[in-house]
Amino acid sequence: MEKIADYKYALDESSIVAITDHKGIITYVNDNFCRISKYCAEELIGQDHRIINSGYHSREFIKELWRTIANGKVWKGEIKNRAKDGTTYWVDTTIVPFLNLEKKPYQYVAIRSDITDRKTGEEELRKSLKEISDYKYALDESSIVAVTNHKGIITHVNTNFCRISKYTAEELVGKDHRIINSGYHSKDFIIELWNTIKSGRVWKGELKNKAKDGTIYWVDTTIVPFLNEDGKPYQYLAIRSDITERKKGEEQIKESNERAVEHAKALQYKNEQLVDFCNIVSHNLRAPLINISMLVDYIEQSDSDSEKEEMLLKIKPVINHLMEVFNELVESIQVKQDTDVAYDRFDLKECIEKILIGFETQIIDSEAEISIQTDGITDIQFPHKYIESIFSNLISNALKYSSGNRKPLILVKASKLKEDKILLTVSDNGLGIDLKLHKDQLFKIRKTFHLHPDAKGFGLFMTKTQVEAMGGRIWAESEPGEGSTFFIELKNHLV
Amino acid sequence: MNHIKQLTLVDDDELFVYLTTKAIEKTNLVELIKVFGNGLDAINYLKEFKDNPHALPEVILLDLSMPIMDGWQFLDEFIKLNPRIGKDITIYICSSSISPDDISRAKSISEVTDYVIKPLTKDKFIDMIKRL
Repeated sequence: MEKIADYKYALDESSIVAITDHKGIITYVNDNFCRISKYCAEELIGQDHRIINSGYHSREFIKELWRTIANGKVWKGEIKNRAKDGTTYWVDTTIVPFLNLEKKPYQYVAIRSDITDRKTGEEELRKSLKEISDYKYALDESSIVAVTNHKGIITHVNTNFCRISKYTAEELVGKDHRIINSGYHSKDFIIELWNTIKSGRVWKGELKNKAKDGTIYWVDTTIVPFLNEDGKPYQYLAIRSDITERKKGEEQIKESNERAVEHAKALQYKNEQLVDFCNIVSHNLRAPLINISMLVDYIEQSDSDSEKEEMLLKIKPVINHLMEVFNELVESIQVKQDTDVAYDRFDLKECIEKILIGFETQIIDSEAEISIQTDGITDIQFPHKYIESIFSNLISNALKYSSGNRKPLILVKASKLKEDKILLTVSDNGLGIDLKLHKDQLFKIRKTFHLHPDAKGFGLFMTKTQVEAMGGRIWAESEPGEGSTFFIELKNHLV
Repeated sequence: MNHIKQLTLVDDDELFVYLTTKAIEKTNLVELIKVFGNGLDAINYLKEFKDNPHALPEVILLDLSMPIMDGWQFLDEFIKLNPRIGKDITIYICSSSISPDDISRAKSISEVTDYVIKPLTKDKFIDMIKRL
């Protein structure tokens, strides 16, 4: 008997103990019961056990409990009860029925232990799990989501990802993320992305991707690395939103901006041409007209017949000069207007050699040495008459403005540039031009830089007009007393 | 009436020079007319005689459009040289250009007294000398 009393003592000390009769009327509670339920023993004894019912458990649950114990079987389970002050507590509960001789329970001993802390923890966990799954749901609904492992192999994609990439989840999972790489971004850009996320930092940016059918889409992207205990990423979560429409808009704006700049450039060029033309009219056409009018005035006012005669003789050369300037202007305007001039296919070297034949006398007289280098360029496609005129002008200048005290050396060269451009150069060891003085006037009409009787200031003007008509550009390098080199960059239409 | 000892014409148009010289001579206001066919020849002359006021002109009639060194370039050089020249030289631009750009550019240069549009008639010239 003593032993039993010891057991009872141990039980009372360790557990929450209550005894009810077969109807559930409390007949005994220990101190632990009173402490947790916040009732005193007097308040409990004689009361139905339901006094601490929290109402949390279903009727079914309670029925099942009673069925078990009424059948004389032990019931084990977790129960949420309510204390006197309305707070609830969880108890791990074992109810042992005590049976009479007819094997019917005459009382029940309920042994409980407080598991409120564990239960609250569990509940909170469940709550936060619910919250997380709500977040995940919201994310999946709103965004394009993909998860990759640390190597970039796709482990999860959501429906939005599949919709935009036009792949099924099965096609994507297990694949390298590069499956949607559009090849648009530079290697450095991608390396920078990987360096960021590999080091555990969030990467944000705009990516151009390629869908299964080859179409392109833009996504605003945030990649969040998930770190393990060592702080190393073990997977990456990529959250994207479709910005294709915005990007398209941006690209359109950029394009139209570029077009506007092009237009502005063309307008500026036209304007410059107009200013040039105004200058030509002002200086080159007006000057001879003034001379004619001065001559006429003179003749009118003069009393001397011999003087009248003399002045009359002077009119003719001015008219000839005026005519010449007029013809030059018309010629240059024709080049500018002739936008659909025929592009002929011809052999470059042959063309140059033919031009040189035309200069044979001057070459022999000046003992000039002319070399041609064509850098393997044979066939070219340009308006033949322009190329012929350009080379004729430049070679003629090189011969005309030779230094006079050394043998003229002239190099005519063609070389390939990147893309399909070619560079034509004509260099000489002649007089040279002081470009510090004449840089702005080099290609202007009626500008001359040497006192040569044949210098008219038309050749380089015309050459520039022709080069520009072919969409090319011309420039020169020169050192007075050393020689000049003229460069022409053209796009060869024959690739 | 002012009397000019030396006048310099800087112009490459031989016919214009011929006719203008004749017109100036008829006014009997100028003792000596010197002609240079471009700006460089003119500036070189001024450089050479900058310390000899008797060899320098009182008036320069300057054309704009010329080979080798045009009127604008001549003015650039002249502005640099002017402080070292031992004489006050009056410069008139005398050009066929009626472009407003040329005229306003000329007016912006303080070394230029006036811009005269060709032709330079006898009356225009007398008027010019009167204002000296």
